[in-house]
Order: sequence, then C-alpha cells, then structure tokens
Amino acid sequence: MKEVQASLLVLGLTGFSFSLLLAFLSKKLKVKEDARIEKILSILPGLNCGACGVSGCRVFAQAVVKEGKIFSGCLPAGEGMNKEIAKALGIETSVVKRKSVAVCRCGADDKEKKVSCLYQGPKTCKAADLIGGAIDCLYGCFGFGDCEAVCPPGAITVAKGKVYVDIEKCIGCGKCLPACPSNLFELLPLAENLDTYYYIACNNREKGVNVKKVCSRGCIACGICTKGENSPFYLKDNLAFIEYKKIVENEPLEEAKNKCPTKCIMKFTVHSS
Amino acid sequence: MKNLILIFISTVLVNNLVLTYFLGICPFLGVSGKLESAFGMGMAVTFVMTLATSISWLIYHFLLERFGLLFLEYVIFILVIASLVQIVEMFIRKFSPSLYQSLGIYLPLITTNCAILGAALFMVTRNYDFLESVVFGFSGGIGFSLVLLIMAGIREEVNYADIPYAFRGAALTLIIAGLLALVFMGFSGLISS
Repeated sequence: MKEVQASLLVLGLTGFSFSLLLAFLSKKLKVKEDARIEKILSILPGLNCGACGVSGCRVFAQAVVKEGKIFSGCLPAGEGMNKEIAKALGIETSVVKRKSVAVCRCGADDKEKKVSCLYQGPKTCKAADLIGGAIDCLYGCFGFGDCEAVCPPGAITVAKGKVYVDIEKCIGCGKCLPACPSNLFELLPLAENLDTYYYIACNNREKGVNVKKVCSRGCIACGICTKGENSPFYLKDNLAFIEYKKIVENEPLEEAKNKCPTKCIMKFTVHSS
Repeated sequence: MKNLILIFISTVLVNNLVLTYFLGICPFLGVSGKLESAFGMGMAVTFVMTLATSISWLIYHFLLERFGLLFLEYVIFILVIASLVQIVEMFIRKFSPSLYQSLGIYLPLITTNCAILGAALFMVTRNYDFLESVVFGFSGGIGFSLVLLIMAGIREEVNYADIPYAFRGAALTLIIAGLLALVFMGFSGLISS
C-alpha cells in the first residue's frame, strides 16, 4: 500500500511540476498570428492552385499581410474578391489580369478520331498511355478527362471525346499541363490589345498522309496558312504553329482559319472583364 | 575525461543508435528527404535527447531510487520526453516558423522517437554517472544527426540519378539505409579495450 501511495505521489508531483512549466512557457512563448490572415483566407476561394506564384492560399494570405499589398492577384478570385481582400487590409489594389490561358491542342471529337481497337482498361488517360493510347493517333487526346479532374476552377470539360476549355473560367495555373500524358495543353500568352485568339488544335507530327489515316481533323502541314504576307504561321515537324509575337491584327488569322482544309485552326474570344 | 571521449566516439560511430540498435527509424526515413530539414530535425533531437537523459538521470537517482520505485522508470521517462518535446516545439514555432513548417508532423513525433527513450534506458542499464549521461545523450543526438545528414545527402543526390522504376522511392531508401548500416559495422573494431 505504501508503494502505491509513493508512486502516486512521485508521478503526480512530477507531472504537476512539468505541467506548470509548460503552462508558464506556453504563455511566455505564445505566437501571435495576425487575425487578418484568417480573414483573407475566408475571402479566398481556397483552391490552392498556385497561380499567384506562391504555394497555396495560406502562404498567399501571409505574404499579403506581411508585404501590405497584393503582390500578384489571386486569379480564381477575380477582381471583386481581390477588392474585398484589399478592403480587409485597408489598402488599394490594381486590377488583376490573367497572363495566360490553357488550350488543348487536339480538337477532334469521337467521330473524327479513328479508333481501331477497343480499350477496356481503367478510364484514365495515364492508364491508357501505358499501353500506347486508346486511339489510333499517337499524339491525340484519349478523352478520359484526366485534365478535367485536376482543373481547380473546373474550366475543362470533356464531351464526346473532345476537350473544351471554358476560357472565362480558366485561370492559367497550368495544372492541366502535366496531367495530360500526351502533353496537349499549352499556355497561350494573353496580350493587352487582343481579345480574339487562334491556336492549332492538332499535335500530330506525322506526315500529312499518315495524319489523314487516323484523324479527319488533323493538321496535314499543307502550309496554306503560312501563305501571304505577315502570316504569323510557320511549319515545324509537319505541324503548323503560330508565332504569337508576330500577330498585329486578327484578319490574316481569320482568313487562314477559313482556308484550313481540315479545320484544325480554332479560335476563342476573351471578354474583357 | 578519457571515459567521456570514449563514450562520445562509441555512441556516435560504433554503437550508433540508428544504425546499430535500429532505434528512431521513423524520422530517419521520414525527414531525410532534404538536407535542411534533416539538419533541423537532428538539432531538435540532439537538444531533446541531451536534456531528456540528464533530467531522467536526476529523476531516476533522486526520486525513483530513493523511494524504491524503479518500476516507474518507463512512465517517468516518457513524461519527461513528452514535456521536453512540447517545450522544443514552442521554441521552434516562436523562433523559426520555416523550420516548424518543414519538420511538420515529425516534430511532435519526437515524443514517440524510440531513440530518445532508448538513450534514457541505456543510461540506466549502463550505470552512467551524471556527466557521462549528459555526454551520452548529447553524442546519441549527434550520432542521430550525423546519420540523418548522410542519408539526406545521399537521397538528394539520388534524386538526379536515373533509377530503374522498381527501385524508385521507398525501395531505394530502404536499400540505402541497409547499406549505411553495413558501412557503420566497419567501425565495430574502432575501440578495443
């Protein structure tokens, strides 16, 4: 009985003295976290997309509070939310603009892509890529929507085997780039004076004849789009590309789009917000 | 003095807690991805281990032995270690938030780091006196940091190598750990009595 009393006493006293020490130190070493960080976090969309340049919304909020200004805007939040953040901090903000948007360089749907084998594996692009793809074209989109799954703002939809990017929703974070095993996504730089953009919706680097065999919407590198003065188009690896820096006006691009025999030049319009 | 130096060398190299007794494997594999966080973890463990062995020695000899309560050693040692880890956590959070972030879950896990409890128990079974215990705890921490830093250095280099698919990640890490243990076996003849 004496042993029980002694062990209770020793253990209790040691525990009590340690807890006193801890209580004292926790008061002394308390870390004050700025209440504004939580406030900004509640305004932010919480996608942790990284489009602002730092890793995650919490780091963004800490950096904004620390620097006292919005160093680079939160793209998914849009202008309204950035103003709210500025209001919470009591500072001014400039208008936040997207620098780029993502486009998918395969514009063929189920009817246009030729499929001569039946893929029955897991319905993800990564799995299909392991056995060489689910379609005849070695460069094109399999249409299982790995990109749809990773897109933070939900701008990407896959319908009938074709990828649609909602340009208004796209924040240009670039998460779809590594998600696509065929590397079909590309970030198009947005210029200030343009609202309509063109891109080549094909990634097939085979010769025209071989492209024709697997897809009716593939670029056959005929070179029609490169004709004419000031054409920003150029051919490389049996594929047409656009030199975006060379674009002055949209007219030659629109003309090339209409002339393209396989209709693989696509266009989208950015509405100025 | 000679005694203390012998304890230091034998604990750091010959009887390394991680590679000879296989204690504290969890942080050894978990925090050895980057040199910077490995260094921070090593320093935190060294600090906790030194304090834990010295305070444990005091409690063991002045409380437990006096009242004949030697069966309480495990409970008391765990109590000491847990409180010390709490204190270290508060200190790091206050003075180095980036280290706090990079250590993450492994900082509170020092509480259950068996290397520290192991050091405290070895100190008892080997009948060290107070000074020897302090040196033993400190060198145990240094040995842990040394191994952690070697491992982190190797793993940072390995990241750039072209490794066969089957060996990537945890598989190669475990193989490296095994090879390191073999290498440290080479120290076994270093001290001859």
